[in-house]
Amino acid sequence: MNRRSYLIRRAFQALVSLFIIATLLFFLFRWGLPDPTTALVAEGLSPEQREMVRQSFGLDQPLWRQYLLFLQNAVQGDFGYSFHYRAPVADIIWERLGNTMVLMVTAILIAYLIGVPLGAWLSWRRGTRADTVGIFAGLMFRSAPMFWTGMIGILVFGVMLGLAPTSGMRTLPYTSTGFFDKITTLDFLWHLTLPAIVVALYYLGSPLLIMRNTMLEVYGEDFIEMARAKGLPERRILYNHAARNALLPVVTQLAVTIGLAAGGQVVVEVVFSWPGLGREILSAVRTSDFPLAQASFLVMAAFVISLNLLVDILYSTLDPRVSFK
Amino acid sequence: MMMSRSRRIGFGLLVSTALTAAFAAPGNAQERVPAVTIATTTEAYDPIRYEAAFIVAEAWRELGLEVNVQPTEFSTLLGRFYDQQDFDATIIGWSGRVDRLDPQFFLGTLDSRQSEPGGNNPGGYHNPEYDELFTRQSQEFDVEARQELVQQMQELYVPDAPVIVLFYRDEVVAYNNAAFEGMEAMAGEGLYSEWGPMQARPLTDRQTLRIGGPQEPDNLNPLASTSVWGWKWMRLYYDRLIRLSPDVEPINWMAASVEAVDDTTIDVTLREGLTFHDGEPVTAEDVAFTFNYYKSQSYAYFDAYLDSLENVEATGDLTVRFNLSEPSASFANIALSQISILPEHLWADIENPGELTPDQIPNIGSGPFKYDAYSRGEIMSLAKNEDHFHADEIAVDGVEFVIYADMEGVFTGLQTGAIDMTAWRMEAGQIPLAEQQDDLTVVTVPDFGYYHMTFNTKREPFDDREVRRALTQAMDRERMVNVLLDGRGEVGHSIIAPVNAFWSAPFVEQFEYDMDAARAALEEAGYSWDGEGRLVK
Repeated sequence: MNRRSYLIRRAFQALVSLFIIATLLFFLFRWGLPDPTTALVAEGLSPEQREMVRQSFGLDQPLWRQYLLFLQNAVQGDFGYSFHYRAPVADIIWERLGNTMVLMVTAILIAYLIGVPLGAWLSWRRGTRADTVGIFAGLMFRSAPMFWTGMIGILVFGVMLGLAPTSGMRTLPYTSTGFFDKITTLDFLWHLTLPAIVVALYYLGSPLLIMRNTMLEVYGEDFIEMARAKGLPERRILYNHAARNALLPVVTQLAVTIGLAAGGQVVVEVVFSWPGLGREILSAVRTSDFPLAQASFLVMAAFVISLNLLVDILYSTLDPRVSFK
Repeated sequence: MMMSRSRRIGFGLLVSTALTAAFAAPGNAQERVPAVTIATTTEAYDPIRYEAAFIVAEAWRELGLEVNVQPTEFSTLLGRFYDQQDFDATIIGWSGRVDRLDPQFFLGTLDSRQSEPGGNNPGGYHNPEYDELFTRQSQEFDVEARQELVQQMQELYVPDAPVIVLFYRDEVVAYNNAAFEGMEAMAGEGLYSEWGPMQARPLTDRQTLRIGGPQEPDNLNPLASTSVWGWKWMRLYYDRLIRLSPDVEPINWMAASVEAVDDTTIDVTLREGLTFHDGEPVTAEDVAFTFNYYKSQSYAYFDAYLDSLENVEATGDLTVRFNLSEPSASFANIALSQISILPEHLWADIENPGELTPDQIPNIGSGPFKYDAYSRGEIMSLAKNEDHFHADEIAVDGVEFVIYADMEGVFTGLQTGAIDMTAWRMEAGQIPLAEQQDDLTVVTVPDFGYYHMTFNTKREPFDDREVRRALTQAMDRERMVNVLLDGRGEVGHSIIAPVNAFWSAPFVEQFEYDMDAARAALEEAGYSWDGEGRLVK
């Protein structure tokens, strides 16, 4: 099978997965969540008034018609109207997704930029005290609940030392004209630092351990023996020859991590009151705002699926041994 | 093998049941009181009401009643209670919205004319004398006379025990006393009342009052918001004819005078020189437009206030006439103090106001503050309106509401000085921490909304007044307050809370927790217990 038809087939598979997920989400939310008029009922509305609310959101239509309409609109990037906010869902999601991605991508990049070289270095120093400490630290932050690391971070750096802000993305009130204007201020970076470090510490473990272990495998390969025989310096063997070959699983892991990052880290977004998509999903479920909830999950799924597709493509480019099957 | 065994067990059961029936029947003609189900919220939705149901069930079982507790998803619970009226006893609640300080709403929940499906009296309490008093109080314009009627109604219904108020809880809020002073807490509202921002006096250079909370409004559309948190914010920049003072007395605000011409006609004269934030004058036309607009739009939130309103007409530049379809003593207090005046020139041409997106809403009012900005999930801000007639009394130059993801974040914000006060109640664990910190002042305000257990008076055994009375005595509400509320609250005795002192009847029957008295009361009403200790009649 040639490369082109492979890619077409993979892209087609991705679309089918997305369609199945959209369908599942649509029905799950209609069967699994309380009636969206709950919030209104609590205020003592009469049944007629409740019916009026249902009609205004098209909830009186048969389910299959609601479903077809949902699919038709979703294809055009229109996810309907939020019950709770009375605003187009797409507007809310794109804004929140941006906030989430800035935090997550920053954190993931920090984790990989530190984790990869550190993992390589640890493999070279394997068995020493540095190796033991490194692995322990990586595992510890990976296993510590993030809300805990986050709260300790807030307590120490925010409350006790007063060095970092404890919540939000910027000093309020603020004025900004757009997304890039917003994220390129020093104030924003100051707010970003603590949550990004907390998330980065969590993510640090994977690249660190994957890199270390793959490196150890690569050391046994013939070409390393060859490089040693040529008398190359150890440092050059480590970073130029071995590390390059050990990168493949790390790259895969990176892409998958970024894919999953779209949903944000709900816990961190809540602890730091970061206005991201994860926090939005939580409140959407709480308020039974299912247009918003299902669209958020759909966007997350689309992210995971497309990054998986990207990984497959990257794989074939990075490592020609991977065949198109 | 399995088949035959199960059949044999089935047969055995059949025989023993038949035997029991045969022996029990001739000896006494009494029947067991049918099993009852207590419907309540799920533990996840509200652990307090969930636990309360078990406290009640435990005591009732001791009295020989078969009791099931049925935790139910909230909207289903509401549906079964209000719409289908399919319940024995339900634990549910009413929130303390400020307009409910007028007794009209809560008293109405026991009026038999509201007992049809969907009405506010699903328990079906029916007392012609009560209904008659309800009508009389709603048409009584003399406040003292109305007070007497209202208290009489409470004394009348309480001994019948159709609805049991479990407790009134205390709301505990806090503010930074180094940054601001002067805010008075208001019943049911805490510090974040409509007066809080107008009363606050800055003690530092920072003149902007910062309120913090996880309570983000659903939206800021005066024709779509259905949450308390939307209107708590909007009422700061949209203005009202009347405002309820911190002591909940109606005071003329935009209105220079409010005059009842007769039982169904109210004339309001506006203050001179009122302007909207865009510079246009506020006229009688705007007032008439607003009320007629709310009446004609499908915005259900205000419907209850406007029920008795026929129409509103501008009778001059500054004079408006409200024509009511029936006499209503509460109309002036409630509707005029809750409905905010919108500018006709900005709203008249909007076709579907409920569907406006946030950037399409004209955020123009005439209130003491002006709309400034709203960034969802982060902050809402208002600036002081220097042209407002009350401006000289306002010391802050603006108000901000910082939106947090949870109460933990709010409290950290309060501790670090990022915000000046909490919008609503703190969590139990935060209260002692706040009390320890010198620059924080903790304020406790009793709520007048309440959780209640309503008996279905159309079903056995709750159709029997004596049973209801006895079972009420078997409800340990003191324990609910101590255990479930950490002692922060008080047992309720009437649907009008004691904090609502003017309307609350002080001497109603108390129904102290007393299991022996409950047992004695049942016995007196002709109930007894069979060999297994089950209640029979």
